[in-house]
Amino acid sequence: MRITVKLIGPFIQAFGFSEKELDVPSGTTADSVLDLVAVDRSRPKIVTRNGRAVAPGEELREGDRLVISPIYSGG
Amino acid sequence: MNGWTGHILRVDLTSKTFKKETFTEEFALKWIGGRGFAAKILYDELKPGIDPLGPENKFIVALGPIAGIPAPNTGKAVVAGKSPMTGGYGDGNLGTRVAEHLRKAGYDALIVEGKADRPTMLYIEDDKVEFLPADAVWGQGTYETNDWIYAKYGKGVGVINIGQAGENLVRYAVVRSLEGRAGGRTGMGAVMGSKLLKAVVVKGSKPIPQADAAGMKKAGHDDLREVHRIDKETGWSIQSTNGVLAWCNEVAALPVRNFRKTHHPDAWKVDGERLNDARIATYGCPNCTMRCGITIHDDEGRESELDYENIGLLGPNLEIFDLPEVGALNYLCDDYGIDTMSGGCVLSFYADAIEHGAATGDYRFGDAAGSKKLLGMIARREGEIGDLLAEGTLRAALKFGRGSEAYAMQVKGLEVAAYNCKFIPGMALAFGVSPIGAHHKESWVITFELKSTSRESYGREKAQKVIELQRIRGGLFEYIVACRFPWIEVGWDLENYPKYFNLVSGLNWTLDDFWTVSDRIYSLIKLFWLREYPQTDRKLDYPPAVWFDPANADTEGPIAGKVLEYDKYDGLLQHYYDIRGYDKRGIPTRATLERLGLAEEARAAEKFGSLT
Repeated sequence: MRITVKLIGPFIQAFGFSEKELDVPSGTTADSVLDLVAVDRSRPKIVTRNGRAVAPGEELREGDRLVISPIYSGG
Repeated sequence: MNGWTGHILRVDLTSKTFKKETFTEEFALKWIGGRGFAAKILYDELKPGIDPLGPENKFIVALGPIAGIPAPNTGKAVVAGKSPMTGGYGDGNLGTRVAEHLRKAGYDALIVEGKADRPTMLYIEDDKVEFLPADAVWGQGTYETNDWIYAKYGKGVGVINIGQAGENLVRYAVVRSLEGRAGGRTGMGAVMGSKLLKAVVVKGSKPIPQADAAGMKKAGHDDLREVHRIDKETGWSIQSTNGVLAWCNEVAALPVRNFRKTHHPDAWKVDGERLNDARIATYGCPNCTMRCGITIHDDEGRESELDYENIGLLGPNLEIFDLPEVGALNYLCDDYGIDTMSGGCVLSFYADAIEHGAATGDYRFGDAAGSKKLLGMIARREGEIGDLLAEGTLRAALKFGRGSEAYAMQVKGLEVAAYNCKFIPGMALAFGVSPIGAHHKESWVITFELKSTSRESYGREKAQKVIELQRIRGGLFEYIVACRFPWIEVGWDLENYPKYFNLVSGLNWTLDDFWTVSDRIYSLIKLFWLREYPQTDRKLDYPPAVWFDPANADTEGPIAGKVLEYDKYDGLLQHYYDIRGYDKRGIPTRATLERLGLAEEARAAEKFGSLT
């Protein structure tokens, strides 16, 4: 299935892309995508799926949009 | 008394006189500085009901015990007075060399009273105070005024000034400093303008009293380097505050079309990536370790310094997605001395009102040229519409009628910052209970709401988090007077701030000691509001009605069909009051006031409004 992964803010420079589409097997979880796109797990982050916060073990679906962002604090 | 100079400079513009006053250690420890000093002075010295734009109002610049001392992000000052926007307590902070120079001149605060008989620049150099004519720059923007001052005194002095908006009493006129700094969106620029005070220039040369100056110097310099290193490591400054724009767009929290929409497919055109790509320079405040002012060329080739709030409210909120055009609107706001947040909300409200038949005109969303023209009309109060929009959204809505008050995006008269809370209950509460009207600086809970609790919740945990953040952001950082960014954006340990405080004061305070001070100041500000609005009601702490309107719900996206609910919001508000020890109107109870050492202030308040 095809999903889109988008990085926010300094994660773009840190992990090497801004937004990309991925072909992933069904059953792929939000958490496993972090490894697929080589996101440093030690960086504090908030991950959303289609605009809603996602649990790490949540299975993704065709067409999902996963956004990985640093934890902003509103300036 | 180490940590404080122990002196306040009181200036009377009417009589062109000044006095150096002394304050006690008890006063210093109870109110610390910055917002604490300002709130206490205004509460004690202003008669309730005065005209905020009359000579009875006072303009205050207040500093804290670490202000101006080299340490992470200490180059900030609080400006305060009775707000022309809200009629309540008003303040704001801005980065300025005034922070360092006023302290080195020997003062922890400046109180400006009365009204000059002609445009005036106040020049303070150590013990000397001069009342100088400013006719040459009256009518000029803040950039030209700054250049005029720098030509006289050099760039090293501390300067705050106002533009045409402040002169013309635009109620959301700000105070400006340096290249792109602005503060006091509660109308402190208009308070200066009402006194014919165009600028304050300060040059100080005395040492700031410190208990352990060597220790503070070492800690300050080490920590300046360390926070800078952490910022480089995390990359926060690459996009600065505007990194959050893309995220807000993803989670349906972006203000679009006067907050009618929460996301937009063209938002990427003005996001942090594009801003970083367009960067020509970066500016920061004195002692800054993580400069947030990303500067671009606007559509006329001028330098415009942008951050998220500017872009969010002058860009997507107006459906303008061209970065140089947004830069031009920001430049004009800065030059006129108009608050970019209220300015953006006023323009979007006007477009919305025309669209809904409450107002007439040819202005539309997406109209950059029309927006530029209107900003000039507002700054000059030109014509009927310029004059009305200079009053802010609430007053304009009362004039327009036809239900437009529901989409005047304000709380207590002050426009909301760039977070669309159509379905973010905790952040809506944060705007609702901000003590100066809607402002994000007091408490920002969106990521907490999405990550650590559910967005749907109106639970007590959200009220608790709002208070926790208020104690730090609206409390500690506003009275110790330092920028919160090192702590909040790159994780600089909060324990560093008592460390700095103890080094300069010789005391041994912990963070818990500060939270009592924070609560005391918030309660005193509530009493200020009670005196001004004796019939006060919890509805003053409600966010804009449009966020509760099912007809305004998103039709697609993450929060489709969802809006805030009145009864649940009211319950969340009650949690906030219960934890704070406030009554059902949102006023601190007598018991709360006594616990916080405010018995005397409570008695003064009871002459004007009742306590429970």
